[in-house]
Amino acid sequence: MRTASVIAAMAGPTLILVGLFVVGPAVYGIWLSFTNKSLEGAAALHTQFVGLANYRTLFTDGGFLQSLGMSAEFVFFSAIVGQFVLGMVAAILLSRTTIRFKGLFGAAILLPMVVPEVVAALTWGSMLAQGHFGTVNRGIALFGFAPVNWLQSVPMLSIIIINIWRGIAFAMIMFQAAIEGIPKEIEQAARVDGASPWQIVRHITLPLIRGPIQLYMLVSTITTFSIFGLVYFLTQGGPGGATNLVAIYIYNYAFQFFEIGLGSAGSVILLLAILVLGFMYVRLSRAEV
Amino acid sequence: MESTRRARSMAGHIAAYLVLAVLALFCVVPFAWVLLGSVDAHASVYLRTPDWSLHNFVEFFTQSGTPQLLVNSLIIAGGGTIVCIGLAMFSGYAFSRFRFPGRRTMLFGILLIRVIPPTATIAPLYVLVLDLHLNNSYLGIILVEAAFNLPLALWLLKGFFDTIPESLEEAAAVDGASRWSAAIRVVFPLALPGLGASALFTFISIWGDFLTPLVLLQSPNLFPISIGLFQAYVGFNEVKWGLLTATAVIYMIPTVLMYLLVRRYLLRATLSGALKG
Repeated sequence: MRTASVIAAMAGPTLILVGLFVVGPAVYGIWLSFTNKSLEGAAALHTQFVGLANYRTLFTDGGFLQSLGMSAEFVFFSAIVGQFVLGMVAAILLSRTTIRFKGLFGAAILLPMVVPEVVAALTWGSMLAQGHFGTVNRGIALFGFAPVNWLQSVPMLSIIIINIWRGIAFAMIMFQAAIEGIPKEIEQAARVDGASPWQIVRHITLPLIRGPIQLYMLVSTITTFSIFGLVYFLTQGGPGGATNLVAIYIYNYAFQFFEIGLGSAGSVILLLAILVLGFMYVRLSRAEV
Repeated sequence: MESTRRARSMAGHIAAYLVLAVLALFCVVPFAWVLLGSVDAHASVYLRTPDWSLHNFVEFFTQSGTPQLLVNSLIIAGGGTIVCIGLAMFSGYAFSRFRFPGRRTMLFGILLIRVIPPTATIAPLYVLVLDLHLNNSYLGIILVEAAFNLPLALWLLKGFFDTIPESLEEAAAVDGASRWSAAIRVVFPLALPGLGASALFTFISIWGDFLTPLVLLQSPNLFPISIGLFQAYVGFNEVKWGLLTATAVIYMIPTVLMYLLVRRYLLRATLSGALKG
């Protein structure tokens, strides 16, 4: 009996705080999504149960579905394609024994990930600045291209590139650890048999780290779906809603239009999608407890 | 035959360096403007050769308002880290040492909670914080930030405690009461590197947070640096690029230095116990 009270006293405060501020809001959000809760106007004083009205609004006014589509596009091209390919290339090259300055290359690639997201966004505010003097525009001018107003004319492409830049390191460190786990003899045997470096990657390295690759796809999908600050800082969802990712849609509805009920309904849908992925993550991770 | 093979491997070698160099440059170049702008007396939104000056940093520490951003970031991240690690020390210890009903479910539940995106709970969280009268206060944001970071800290610390043999404290622990002193006097000192790493990860995470303070704080005198930078960047007034970039440098240096200290735990922290070891 004494042990039970020790356990309760040690673990209790943690569980209470997490329950109150993480699990609580998730559950409270489900309730709010069925109400017309608002921070302004008449509904602020008299919150009423409105059934599925918020969900009906979400799925009929088009904006929310468009946001989901944009988030899917953003996740696919930045995390699943861009970060994966570049992170894998970096990990494979840095695992070669003959490469020097590994620490230097690794640190450089790590830098975008370790700075606060607001600073990461700010640096691209200058990189993509419009006119002849913007850094990227100066770069493409070397190849004869005219300056582009990046965040205005190709906003989705711009935020995808920015997020690839920020996330290469995460893919890289995951794949580096996985590649380190492959016994060196397998690769050596293949090389003795005359396999080219590309054949070794294609037929040995990639199949052997399939598990970590799946885990990466899952984790990066989850984290990329919830990106807010990196994009909001630069575009606030604009121009004309062109970068209105789900997270920004929810924020704008709840805090710019004060429609908490509608924002909560969007949150519930985001939450359900993420939890499905989350269950797969917990199963795939086979964590020891 | 042998010479063509060697030539081909030489070409592959050079290609490898080229690819790595391009990747590294892509990652580093965006920071040039922030760093050079912060020491430029006439900084603009464009990258340029600076008119060297430390004036921007002097301005940050002397102008009214900006030093308060730094103080607020330190209070929020420091307070949140103390609460988070203070609680996770004991809960991590309990989950590491005791076998009790529901333990596995709770541990997996906490792992699952980590994937809940803050953006998916932020609207109800705001209403809840309003109801608790914790809105627009240091206490409110410190408790919320601590709660957000508790799942990771608990998993990390449980992992560190698991590596400390239980036989060390069995001698000390005879009854329930001395279980506390066994934890505090025997286990925590041995887990000091782990405690330090977890504290640094928590601090970095809160220090860099943007969404939570954006929603939970309304008074400019409570704003941390992340919000101050955002307000300055989108502000209606003319942007002072020198002061803005100097603020960004002051803001990013601590996280970069802390990451150097915890680099070897990075993978474990990003997956929080999802990989063995």
